[in-house]
Amino acid sequence: MADDIRSCGELDEQLAPFVDGEEPAAGRAAVAAHLAKCPPCRQHADAEREARDLIHAQRQVLSVRAPGALRDRCAAAARSAPAAGMSHFLWRWAPLSLAATLVLAVAGVFVFGLNNRVEALAASLTADHVKCFSVGEVDPATDAGAAGRKWQHDYGWPVAIPPTAASEQLQLVDVRRCFSTDGRTAHVMYRWHGQPVSLYVLPQDTGGARVVRKLGHQTVIWCANQRTYAVVADAQPAPDFTRVVEYLKANSK
Amino acid sequence: MAFRRSSFRGDDAEFARAALAHIDSLYGTALRLTRRAADAEDLVQDTYLKAFRSAHQFEAGTNLKAWLFTILHNTFRNNRRHDGRSPVDVDSEAVERAASDGPADPSPEQVLTRQSLDADLQAALDALPEAFRQAVWLRDVEELSYAEMAKVLDVPIGTVMSRISRGRRALSEGLQSRRARSAAAAPVARLAMRTGMRE
Repeated sequence: MADDIRSCGELDEQLAPFVDGEEPAAGRAAVAAHLAKCPPCRQHADAEREARDLIHAQRQVLSVRAPGALRDRCAAAARSAPAAGMSHFLWRWAPLSLAATLVLAVAGVFVFGLNNRVEALAASLTADHVKCFSVGEVDPATDAGAAGRKWQHDYGWPVAIPPTAASEQLQLVDVRRCFSTDGRTAHVMYRWHGQPVSLYVLPQDTGGARVVRKLGHQTVIWCANQRTYAVVADAQPAPDFTRVVEYLKANSK
Repeated sequence: MAFRRSSFRGDDAEFARAALAHIDSLYGTALRLTRRAADAEDLVQDTYLKAFRSAHQFEAGTNLKAWLFTILHNTFRNNRRHDGRSPVDVDSEAVERAASDGPADPSPEQVLTRQSLDADLQAALDALPEAFRQAVWLRDVEELSYAEMAKVLDVPIGTVMSRISRGRRALSEGLQSRRARSAAAAPVARLAMRTGMRE
């Protein structure tokens, strides 16, 4: 077995993942080979394992309970602070919201011109679309009517949610608030022929209609009734995708 | 926890509930950082205020607990920079007092365990250098990933791994020396106990 570890000092950053079983296979073999022929390092590994196991065993005893008064104060902060953090945020094109800026930075969209606000919006929504479909769960049992009523109740403005359309092979799978923009955007999620499709509804008219291609996706944007709508899907959808967009346009008014 | 590596989606109340579910972890960590119960409470309260105000920055699918810990540690570092205080005076009593407050209604087994084993472990943890103590605590008590810890502590991931390793070994050595001292003191204690019983 090859021992790539030439000195004990090289183990410094590898011992914890080795003991925790998180060292990749190749590195693990090298560490194991070194430990097999180095008693002091083996002793270190044993000591580390012993300490970790003891803490794990005593974790509940080590834990503390926050005082009741502190709980009350923090709960009170929750009731007052969201207005500053999540709900008061008015949509502004310039500067972009911090949350949107972060998503844009992560997506690397700074390379294609943030001065174009529509492109920035499309990029932000695309990043959210990818993120929402790649992590977490959706709820294929989502009912369009109930979700629309809940949205109105929770956020105070109506969103018409196009329901599942078997004729279009389009299935509604979830409705959630889009945190990646400003927290005020409705994100309506669909599967179309099994592929993710998003409809975003912003509670203001941002002007104009465009199709934007960014990050391997296309975003179809339009405005109506003091709302901005955006459909995000893979950049090369099947030809009948236009029908889906038309369906969403017709049923989101 | 429910939101670890799962999707956060919901309203303000849902976010608040999810965040407040970590208050014991945050308070326990704050106690280890500040060493003073009152300071720990202030730190946790500041953390939640910032978290609720910045809720829109939380990325769905990431670990809410780690995000809260990042805010807590940043706040602690900033506070320390500003007020010049250093939490070097070990106040194990504050930690012990808080620990004795909960979890609520510990079982008799827990009481016995705490009495017999916990004192050494608490003391050995308290005796660790701060950087090691934070690393061991976040990893082995709060179970954050190396990457999450790197973000929380604002250090490279290699440094995190190194600190965990060294911290655990130092803890093991500390426990061994405490046990050795206890063993040396045991005959005297037994003699005193027997004498007391006869009286």
